[in-house]
Amino acid sequence: MKIAYSHLSQHIIENPSIEQISDRLFQLGHEHEIQNGIFDFEFTPNRGDCLSINGLLRDLAIFYTVAHNQDIYTKKIDSLQLDFENLSENICPKISFLKLEIESIPDIYKDCLNDYFTDLSLNRNNFFTDISNYLSYEAGQPTHCYDADLIEGKLIFKELSEDKEFETLLEKKIKLKGKNPTFLLNNEVINLAGVVGGKSTACSLDTKTVIVECAYFQPEAIIGKSVKYDIQSEASHKFERGVDPECHEFVLRRFIKLVDEHTNIKSMSLISYNYIDAPIHQIPVNVQKINQIIGIDISEGDYLDYLIKLGFVIETGSIKVPSYRSDIKTQNDLAEEVARVIGYDNISRLKIKIPKSKKQSYKDIENKLRYFLLDNGFYEVINSPFVNIASKEAIKVDNPLDSSREFLRTNVTNSLLENLLFNERRQKDSIKLFEISDIYFSDVNISKKRKLSIIASGRIGLNYEDFSKKINKKYLIRLFKKILPNQDLEFKIISRDSLNTKVTSEIISIEIDIESLSNEVLSYKEISKPPKLFNQYNLISEQPCSFKDISYSIKDYKKTKELQELLLNYSNDILKNVFIFDYFYNENKEEIKIGFRFTFQNKNITLTSAEIDVVYNDIIKISLGIEGVTIPGI
Amino acid sequence: MPEHKDISPPELIKDRGSLHPINHMKDSVMELLTTIGFEIVDGPEIETEKFNFDMLNIKKSHPARQMHDTFYVENKSNLLRTHTSPVQIRGMLEKKPPLAFISGGKVYRKDDDATHLPMFHQVEGIYVDENVSFAQLKDLIYKIIYSLFGDNIELRFRPSYFPFTEPSAEVDILSKEGKWLEILGCGLVNPIVLNNCNIDSNKYSGLAFGLGIERMAMLKHGVTDIREFYKSNLDFLSQFK
Repeated sequence: MKIAYSHLSQHIIENPSIEQISDRLFQLGHEHEIQNGIFDFEFTPNRGDCLSINGLLRDLAIFYTVAHNQDIYTKKIDSLQLDFENLSENICPKISFLKLEIESIPDIYKDCLNDYFTDLSLNRNNFFTDISNYLSYEAGQPTHCYDADLIEGKLIFKELSEDKEFETLLEKKIKLKGKNPTFLLNNEVINLAGVVGGKSTACSLDTKTVIVECAYFQPEAIIGKSVKYDIQSEASHKFERGVDPECHEFVLRRFIKLVDEHTNIKSMSLISYNYIDAPIHQIPVNVQKINQIIGIDISEGDYLDYLIKLGFVIETGSIKVPSYRSDIKTQNDLAEEVARVIGYDNISRLKIKIPKSKKQSYKDIENKLRYFLLDNGFYEVINSPFVNIASKEAIKVDNPLDSSREFLRTNVTNSLLENLLFNERRQKDSIKLFEISDIYFSDVNISKKRKLSIIASGRIGLNYEDFSKKINKKYLIRLFKKILPNQDLEFKIISRDSLNTKVTSEIISIEIDIESLSNEVLSYKEISKPPKLFNQYNLISEQPCSFKDISYSIKDYKKTKELQELLLNYSNDILKNVFIFDYFYNENKEEIKIGFRFTFQNKNITLTSAEIDVVYNDIIKISLGIEGVTIPGI
Repeated sequence: MPEHKDISPPELIKDRGSLHPINHMKDSVMELLTTIGFEIVDGPEIETEKFNFDMLNIKKSHPARQMHDTFYVENKSNLLRTHTSPVQIRGMLEKKPPLAFISGGKVYRKDDDATHLPMFHQVEGIYVDENVSFAQLKDLIYKIIYSLFGDNIELRFRPSYFPFTEPSAEVDILSKEGKWLEILGCGLVNPIVLNNCNIDSNKYSGLAFGLGIERMAMLKHGVTDIREFYKSNLDFLSQFK
């Protein structure tokens, strides 16, 4: 919500700067940004009372002397004869109607009304609606203006339970479904209560006689309606968070005063219906409890002084909560008020000592498995559980994000298969992934299984021992025998027939219930450790990689290490990776063959052959500078 | 003939895998909290409205309960938990104070854009004992933040609102660029919640806090797009060894 600094400061005697007010508002918990003298607030949902100038001034009164300077019409007002019936008093326990007739419609707005539209760069609508909007901004109470000439017949407030067409005053046609609080005229909806008025009875530029409706609606009846019907509504934002049920008299008399300041009023009449009294909350004075909750030591005098400044009334031994503070009901609520006034950052820390629970071991089966897999080159992934496959036992999401995410997965392997294909498309030729996740099934009741799923394809590893070996069932069975010597695991081959891929390597997978694994796992001695530092992430390139292999022949064995150190430490912006993919000692020829694979990739562009060759040729040149090192064919 | 006869092969550099950075972050936070004294409790991701909302003082009318914020399943009979707090409710129902629980895991909200995902991770903690105060909560939060971000980090507490805590606060840390970044939410357990769990709120009080793991991991690793965590891209994952 936007509120201009000048609209606040004109009511504050000390005339604080925008920065001073900003600091105080932050201390009070009213998060905001400032742009060109306008505060843009994001209020917490419990503070509906702050959604106005007066609401913020009530809070700022703890720090400053506030003078509201908001005149109201004070004379007696005739009683309005209105054919109105409230059929849902529990939803609308209090409502008032004001009828006003004016002589002429003013062209120019004055004072605060003019400032509101000018300072906040708002467009005008029509005279009565403009005053209504301003009053909502000033006092926090939304009102609705009907063109009185268009209200003919009995006006009914009712929570409607039947489907009805309704055209809003913004000419949006909506179909009301389910329960909706509405105002009806001749059985037609003329107002979706607390959200938006209807076109059929809306005020226009020519309206000279208005009926202003000022109501309290139970927040529960309004919540969700603006989202349901996709209507941007400041009124519903306020009603959802709760408005002051005791403000009608002030708001309507202020309405009259503002009209009176702009044009002559020919007639006015008012009627208020109070069906159910608003609850009055009283909390016992107990400063010891407040001190205990916050962990401070303030005097009762200071405590009560804070509350009085915030509008609370102190009666014998109890604190009466003002009608606009529907969020205050308990000692903890009052403690928060005191803590805000003191400032959370000004409350000193008190040493906490939590009794130690019995030390929990992180070395359970699941974690042993994770580190075993890490030690063998597997990467842990996490996938979304939402899928579009409706297996018999899949749990259906009632309100999915879209039709491709209507169900919860019943296996992890499918997610891993997608991950594998994604990485294959990114030219990865050694892919080993795993995920541990809870999987839920729809049965008589919802049941859960904790699963470990593994998928692997391509080369066993990117080193000279594993480069030429392909991942297959045998490899994985042998691998898992190291950790589960007495348990037979059934690895599966996933067919590539239905997969859109040119890669031919076998895809091996397994999905295991963690509970089914034996405690043998616990004896595994892991090599990998969790990283101590949090590595800084380098942006990933989306450009394709290019690979270059160079095979060297070395007669002088001493030079092997020199070559390795040179090439494994060779650095260039486009050289992404280098590793030894081949090593062989030829006893007959007494020479060492060693092969290096270089991966080239640029962060921003696709590399050309010429660009790669510049680096490639440099690598060849410097490596051949080592005596006794040759490249067959060059 | 070469004089040197050492033909031992080069060091065999075997590629190690990596933990997912979100799980690593979660584990680190949980490990830290267990050293402070918290006990790990676990609970289901598919919850009831009772445990996810009612017991936590989240009223029927609260916007979070709407279909546009919460995923409901099986004809609204259950829901995907929107936070890990229901685990603590279950813990409080099972054990009497003093108690100190942490729970971590996946939570779900109906969001999907550049900064929000429908699935993310939280770690939440609760400590209930006699005379637990807001000043003690501050001490605990300082300990946690200093452990995770170092003793020189500047932090501030702001009043906030959660139905299950009162008073409630959000905690920001000051980034190197001089920007305040929201890092966690916390507060004193609302007495209504304690009473719901059959804990005498006249005798006991509690503190609670919750951290968004993705947010922490993004800050610690310098990841700017939350979606990167869930692409399962090996170029990404291999950076977190």
